[in-house]
Amino acid sequence: MGTQVNVFIQALVNGIMIGGVYALIAVGLTLIFGVMDVVNFAHGEFVMVGMFTTYLLHILLTLDPTVSIILVIPIMFCVGVLIQRTLIVRVVGLPHESHILLTLGISVLLMNFTLLIMGADPHSIRTSYKFSSIQIGQILIMLPRFIAFSVAMVASAMLWMFLTWTEMGRGLRAVAEKPEVAILMGINPKKMHWLAFGISIALAGAAGTLVTPFRYIYPNVGQTYCLIAFVVVVLGGMGNIPGAILGAFVIGITESLTCQYVALDLSMLGPYIIFILVLLFKPTGILGKGKAY
Amino acid sequence: MATHRDTNVNRTRTVSLIVIAVVVLALPLFLSQRYLFRILINIFFFAALGSAWNIIGGYAGQLSLGHAAFLALGAYSTGLLLLHYNVAPWAGVLPGSILAALVAYFLGKLVLRLRGPYLALATLAFGEIVRILLLHFTNVTGGPLGVTIPFTGTNLWSLQFPTEHVNYCISLGLLALCIYVASRIHNSRMGYYLQAIKENQDAAENLGVPLARTKNLALVISAVLTAVMGGFYQIFMTYIDPYAVAGLHMSIEIILVAIIGGVGTVWGPVIGACILVPLMEASNFILGGGRAGASMLIYAVILIIVVLFSPKGLITLVPKLEGYRSE
Repeated sequence: MGTQVNVFIQALVNGIMIGGVYALIAVGLTLIFGVMDVVNFAHGEFVMVGMFTTYLLHILLTLDPTVSIILVIPIMFCVGVLIQRTLIVRVVGLPHESHILLTLGISVLLMNFTLLIMGADPHSIRTSYKFSSIQIGQILIMLPRFIAFSVAMVASAMLWMFLTWTEMGRGLRAVAEKPEVAILMGINPKKMHWLAFGISIALAGAAGTLVTPFRYIYPNVGQTYCLIAFVVVVLGGMGNIPGAILGAFVIGITESLTCQYVALDLSMLGPYIIFILVLLFKPTGILGKGKAY
Repeated sequence: MATHRDTNVNRTRTVSLIVIAVVVLALPLFLSQRYLFRILINIFFFAALGSAWNIIGGYAGQLSLGHAAFLALGAYSTGLLLLHYNVAPWAGVLPGSILAALVAYFLGKLVLRLRGPYLALATLAFGEIVRILLLHFTNVTGGPLGVTIPFTGTNLWSLQFPTEHVNYCISLGLLALCIYVASRIHNSRMGYYLQAIKENQDAAENLGVPLARTKNLALVISAVLTAVMGGFYQIFMTYIDPYAVAGLHMSIEIILVAIIGGVGTVWGPVIGACILVPLMEASNFILGGGRAGASMLIYAVILIIVVLFSPKGLITLVPKLEGYRSE
């Protein structure tokens, strides 16, 4: 009986740990949707690019992921701004099909470019703390996962503070809520668009860095994260940041419990089924408002 | 005056169709290399898939990102029935198509009321669910190892032949079927309904277009044609696995063929396949087949260019076909 409870709590804790990382990926995706009304199908690939950047920094400069995150965030911010200003800007305001197809194209491009250069073999990063863990009673928390969770939470909190307390953050929220009125208030929506895209891609890259100590790095890895991020964002209501964080924990825990109690290779089935159910019964998400059909 | 022009257009169209048909039918007589055969068959295969997707994704504008799942249903049913019960492929594809029709019907009931990105995401998740299930039920589907039909010499029953002539004819016939169905729908009342749905669903509904029924029927027809192509894929490739037939990349390739050629047009997918398939072969040839990323990389660049600069597809660049587009 006691072990049963422990197994359950252990699965729950694992789910919460990974849920924190999903939250970081999803807040970026939901931010882009909220501010630009663009659905970014390439979001997972930016996580992948973040992972490979971390890997290269590790190989070339022997930087630890906890250090290289300081470099990855600005690099990915610039990548995001560059892609927004050259490609995405051309489809803002066009029908959703154009966004979906363009970002799908960017996703396939990034994935296969990496595949061509780095090859299909999975890589991993060895850190001194790879197998360290914290023990609380009968529950084990792997240190790399704990670091990932904590940093992701701090980053999400910083994004929230930025959006709530700074002039720029208020500008972003204004554009998300009522673009026409934001223009009247002297806010330049174009500037807010590339700012939102840059921040969002920087967060996705940071999430990529955080998972490198315990996940394999390979070119196709982004697809999984992309789908998870979509599930989370729809669950929380598209464009809704607190909703995305809540959704991330729901999906992290669902994934972990499916893994524990159903089958290892079906770990993603639980989240997808939740996803379809949400789309059917409350497509605007748990906390969302608006119209899905 | 208008009728005079119409008969002229009709005559030109009939003549050009006959010329194309004669050339395509005569080609096998002059081809000796198996490789060239396979390229042509691939063109027909993807053109047919693009035409099938176009019925729901193009005419009705309901972006489905999960069509590979229907392809997989057809391919697995054909392959497994042939492998375990020695059912001929042309019969084995039937249960797969019926299954695809049922799945499409219920999927449509569930998700077709969703719009824009929500629909795209729901179909994406549907495709992934099918892929994960195919991987999981190893004792039925073979899991990641897939289904392989061993070559046991020339066999009319299981459609195994040493040359590609028969596959060439089958794929051409299936392409003709898909184009026929697509063009019949395009020019029918249902075609106008679908077009109205694409332009503006709310307006279409107000004008009395039965939204749910029309969209659902289009999805079912599209899914059945895709499943039939899946059956052919199993015979043609002799080997399938969950990644090859149900992977997201397959759904994307199907969409690319239609989008690049000209979404929502009868001949767009054919043009798209004629451009994409040789390009993929050329890139694999030049950059080496071992580098799997090369062809998809080129696909991606073309997709981005088409979306940004020619959203109606490359069919708009062909002035002669321009007239047929709207018909």
